[in-house]
Amino acid sequence: MAEGMRVEPDLEFIKYLKSAGGDTLKKCYQCATCSVVCPLSNDTKPFPRKEMIWAQWGLKDKLVADPDVMLCHQCGDCTTHCPRGAKPGDVLGAIRAYAYIHYGFPSGLAKLVSQGKNLPLIIALPALVILAVWWLSGGMTLPAADAIDFGMFFDSHKDHPTIIGGLTLNVLLIDAIFVPALGFAIFAAYKGVSKMWRDMAAQLEVKTEFRPSAKQFVTEFLVPSIKEILAHKRFKECGTNQNRVNGHLPLLLSFIALFVVTTYGMIRKDILGMFIEGMHGPIPLADPFKVLANISAIALIVGVGILWMNRAHAEEENNATPTFYDWFLIVKIMTVGVTGLSAELTRLIGIPVLAYLFYFMHLVSVLMLFIYMPYTKFAHMVYRTFAMAFEKYRESGFAQKIEG
Amino acid sequence: MTDERSAPAGAVLVVGGGISGLTAALEAAEVGKDVFLIEKNPYLGGRVAQLNQYFPKLCPPSCGLEINFQRIKANRRVRVYTMTEVKSVTGGPGKYQVTLESKPRFINNNCTACGACADACPDERDNDFNFGMNKSKAVYKPHDMAFPMKYVLDKNACSDAGLQAVKDACKYDAVELDMAAKEFTVDVSAIVWATGWNPYDPTKMTNLKYDSSNAIITNMMMERLAAPNGPTGGKILRPGDNKEPASFAFVQCAGSRDENHLEYCSYICCMASMKHINYIREQYPTAKITVFYIDLRTPGKYEKFREKLMSDANITWVKGKVADIVAEADGSVTLIAENAVTGDKIKETVDLAILATGMEPAAKAQAAALGLSVDSNGFILADAEGGMVSAGCAKKAADVVTCGQSATAAAMKAIQASRR
Repeated sequence: MAEGMRVEPDLEFIKYLKSAGGDTLKKCYQCATCSVVCPLSNDTKPFPRKEMIWAQWGLKDKLVADPDVMLCHQCGDCTTHCPRGAKPGDVLGAIRAYAYIHYGFPSGLAKLVSQGKNLPLIIALPALVILAVWWLSGGMTLPAADAIDFGMFFDSHKDHPTIIGGLTLNVLLIDAIFVPALGFAIFAAYKGVSKMWRDMAAQLEVKTEFRPSAKQFVTEFLVPSIKEILAHKRFKECGTNQNRVNGHLPLLLSFIALFVVTTYGMIRKDILGMFIEGMHGPIPLADPFKVLANISAIALIVGVGILWMNRAHAEEENNATPTFYDWFLIVKIMTVGVTGLSAELTRLIGIPVLAYLFYFMHLVSVLMLFIYMPYTKFAHMVYRTFAMAFEKYRESGFAQKIEG
Repeated sequence: MTDERSAPAGAVLVVGGGISGLTAALEAAEVGKDVFLIEKNPYLGGRVAQLNQYFPKLCPPSCGLEINFQRIKANRRVRVYTMTEVKSVTGGPGKYQVTLESKPRFINNNCTACGACADACPDERDNDFNFGMNKSKAVYKPHDMAFPMKYVLDKNACSDAGLQAVKDACKYDAVELDMAAKEFTVDVSAIVWATGWNPYDPTKMTNLKYDSSNAIITNMMMERLAAPNGPTGGKILRPGDNKEPASFAFVQCAGSRDENHLEYCSYICCMASMKHINYIREQYPTAKITVFYIDLRTPGKYEKFREKLMSDANITWVKGKVADIVAEADGSVTLIAENAVTGDKIKETVDLAILATGMEPAAKAQAAALGLSVDSNGFILADAEGGMVSAGCAKKAADVVTCGQSATAAAMKAIQASRR
């Protein structure tokens, strides 16, 4: 054993994996069936067999910097064919969950969001923020008989004059919270992803003389990856859970569309509305943006609903392990969709109590989506995208192995 | 053979006439027990009869079976019923009533195995003794050293004209076309279940695509290909096109140690594949051979066997299970695996791929109907009261040596049960 490798297992890491759906990990006996049946595994250094033994050995540092872990779409083909019920798909999912915490910034927040037992706090934090907005905007009274206007929350124009250029305090506060929250999430994700990239590059042991420029990085690695994601090319190769594309694709497209219309709504109502009277009211239903928004809202609910059913079905078939990590995101997105649509419908029907209540819940769930993005399963959006870019980098001329 | 109902008390029923059943029956009979030995097939010898050579000494099956057949012939206490199965069991330890059913052979004891009927028979059937790799006449001798040495008529495979031709060809009046199935009951004090095993159905491993190419065979087919009394006269040729393979690959654990198929290790497949490499080496001294395995299990002295083969430069050993097989246009197949030692994906194209399929207990489907207690894999458990005993591969996946031991032990238990 003079030449042997010294394995220094990280026991905490193994314990975390077991708690996060990777409890089947130790059943693996390294037959490598998974690496062959995986439709996303490449021909040179396939996965997830090697990840399984690294995880058994507790080699945390190797795993969090392993792009293959992020490339996995957890379609479950490996789990279906696994002769031991070791569920490699779930183990890789657990490693990803761990990686988001590992790279999460600030780490305290990342750790908080990773555990189901913290759920009350996870919900209470954004709920208190939005309640404060509600209170500060002068609401907390029974809704007035006025037409429902979410720009007012429970307040009315008459009692509380607008602050700047026709904007209410409520709108200002929401903008002042949500825009920085999004900025913070993007910054945190950037910090995490760039650390992951550095770790991955270090593991690759490549020459560093030739580095891609920022432009090359975007055009040669990042944009092709995003195109691949939009086309769901890899998702479609999955055998066991083909139906997931039908859920994930509308969900992804609706997210993009809703981001566009929300940004449009903010510019139109909160910026243009300061100068043009009447622009800060609800957008008419016939407006193309409003039409897109409504279609997207339905697509979002349908998409996440399909994913919800698929996941429940896979768990019933014992093909996936139920985890807080997976269900938190599914339920959160469902909440965003259902509360948003319900708020709109009750507003149109004219039930102020329900409309404002749904609006409140909608704001809370959207804020949760924003601030927890870099640490929850939602983080796959950035981590996997960059891992795919890294894969392209790894195969490019920039990443030549050090000879010898 | 005397009237079965006249057997004295304390008789033993042995179900299955393979190496385990033969052993149990003889061990019990040779200490003075009356034994009914029943066998589903028209011949005794079971799976061993289908082998080319068997461990521990790589003897041809004629070696071990012949001596057992001699012992049976010499022992008047053993009554043999071929083409016979158990219909139901009633009673308890010391006093079982077992209803048996014999299917009609359509050939009576006058048969001298002269073969005139087969020469005259115009119709053919798939030869199941050779796993369908060739055909036999509809009236056939099960195999060259079948015991009892009598022909069998497969009436369903035979035309009316064929039946007439068969009947007319027999000089000894041995063809009885109106022979009917016969049901009868025996009183026994103990039952030894030596029902053996079936090769696991390779089509169940959908990713190995057994049906996609003639170049994918099972280990039991390999035994028949290498056997002198097999479909190719002992020459290892690819079924279908009879090509002499230039390269071979073994797919170990094909269905075994897999909770989707057989969750246990079938015990024999590693050594069986190594034995097959010996067959190949006799005929193709330098052919390229690749063995894909998870672990190589070569118990005890078989380590030496492995060491010898591992020194062969033309054999590659890959730790990694084959999880995909692709049929190629030229009749070969490509096996895909990951080498778990190097981490590289391997695509190996070979002329003949041998699936080391495992052992499935033959009584699995029937066990519940007969009131047998079986484990979760279908292996028969010994009855706590002692009247029912299992032996050989009906009890657990095992090689011939182990079967011999467990059959002797089962005979001992059966004798004890019959003395109570």
